[in-house]
Amino acid sequence: MSHTASSPDPFDNLRLELRRGCLVLAVLAQLRAEHYGYALRKALADRGMAIDENTLYPLLRRLETQGLLVSEWREEDKRNKRFYRLSSHGQGVLDQLLEEWQSINASLTRITEGDALLELKAES
Amino acid sequence: MELLNRYLHAVKFWLPKSQQEDIIAELGEDLRSQIEDREAALGRPLDEDGLAAVLKQRGNPMLVAGSYLPQRSLIGPALFPIYQFILKLVIVWILPPIFILVVGPATVLSGRDPSLALAETAWTLLMAAVFAFGVITLVFAAMERYPHESMLKWDPCRLPRVPPAEPITQPQPVPGYRAIAELLAAIGASLLWIEVMWLRTSFDFNGVAITLAPVWRSFFWPILLVTLSGVPIGLMGWLRPWWMRARSCVRLAVDGVTLVLTGALVNMGPWVRVAAPNLPAAGVADANHWANVGTSIGLGVVAIITLVDAVQEARRLVRQKPAGNHAPVAVRR
Repeated sequence: MSHTASSPDPFDNLRLELRRGCLVLAVLAQLRAEHYGYALRKALADRGMAIDENTLYPLLRRLETQGLLVSEWREEDKRNKRFYRLSSHGQGVLDQLLEEWQSINASLTRITEGDALLELKAES
Repeated sequence: MELLNRYLHAVKFWLPKSQQEDIIAELGEDLRSQIEDREAALGRPLDEDGLAAVLKQRGNPMLVAGSYLPQRSLIGPALFPIYQFILKLVIVWILPPIFILVVGPATVLSGRDPSLALAETAWTLLMAAVFAFGVITLVFAAMERYPHESMLKWDPCRLPRVPPAEPITQPQPVPGYRAIAELLAAIGASLLWIEVMWLRTSFDFNGVAITLAPVWRSFFWPILLVTLSGVPIGLMGWLRPWWMRARSCVRLAVDGVTLVLTGALVNMGPWVRVAAPNLPAAGVADANHWANVGTSIGLGVVAIITLVDAVQEARRLVRQKPAGNHAPVAVRR
């Protein structure tokens, strides 16, 4: 099946869906150490997990509302900044999510490597 | 920094009051940090164009504010396909046929000016469609918000049985007797039309004279062409019964012309005049009235029959494969 030039590339949509859950995990993991918004975004981008500002700030607020993050306004370099860090509840959730992530990753590896083995057998 | 303040003010407008100050303070801080980074990279303060570029990259103030608001949808992705199906069913497949076949003819035949009646029908159809759209949307929005327990608790054993599979049939070629009947009917109708409209336009029934209005004369040739069109259609069905696509196309074209002619004629009454020297004037006026009402009903019936035929031909045309003109069709089971 073909898609028209005006329709979005299916890869872009699927990539976006795949990244959505991973971003939450990345933000929670990065906030084991305290960061303010701009520094957090730079830290994530430096580690290969670039995130749009208009996604990051609403996400931080949502995670804070859910009790996974705590924040406080503090002065730094003569400017008021809002610092975020993982709450104790957030730490527990992060551990569970990381465990889930490892499990998914292991399953996917088994599935994809299994397919590769079958292909090798078919070729031989 | 005036541009930055204007931007923040524009975002603030779209935010809920309780969160305005907090969000704007954080957004302002983030933008200032970004501007500082750019200035450090350039080694000079940003000019207005540079500042505008940073703000443009951040996005439209309304959309930026929207990203902070709870993401809700009136009808969610689970119900949306059903919503779309019901909407299409009502607005495309139920309302227009009702208005074209029932409401429209009833309004036209109610005695009002035909063009006004048609306009009124079209307007009422539009309003009905808008009303249906609103009601269906509200019902689905309510279902989205308050899902009924029947949607959550259901029993697979109570699902309806699968109907027996219908054989897939292709349209059959025209039977020979039908094609010949069509041909003879077309010749008969054409001769009758010439007799009635050309040779005599007045008929006497025991002292009551019914005269056709001159309007019929102006439609003589177009209507004769329509009646004569049955001759090639009948011949085609008789001699080339597998030319079904071509036959359907011609019939659709003839139906279209017939509908246009009927629509034009409906607007041009009175169509007959009754004269009876032996009857009182009031009786003659009544006879005139009812003769014309009868003619308008007749025209309405012709329009409905033509429309039904056009729909049937269109369905046949859609169901036939393009190659259907060249090979006899078999029933596939």
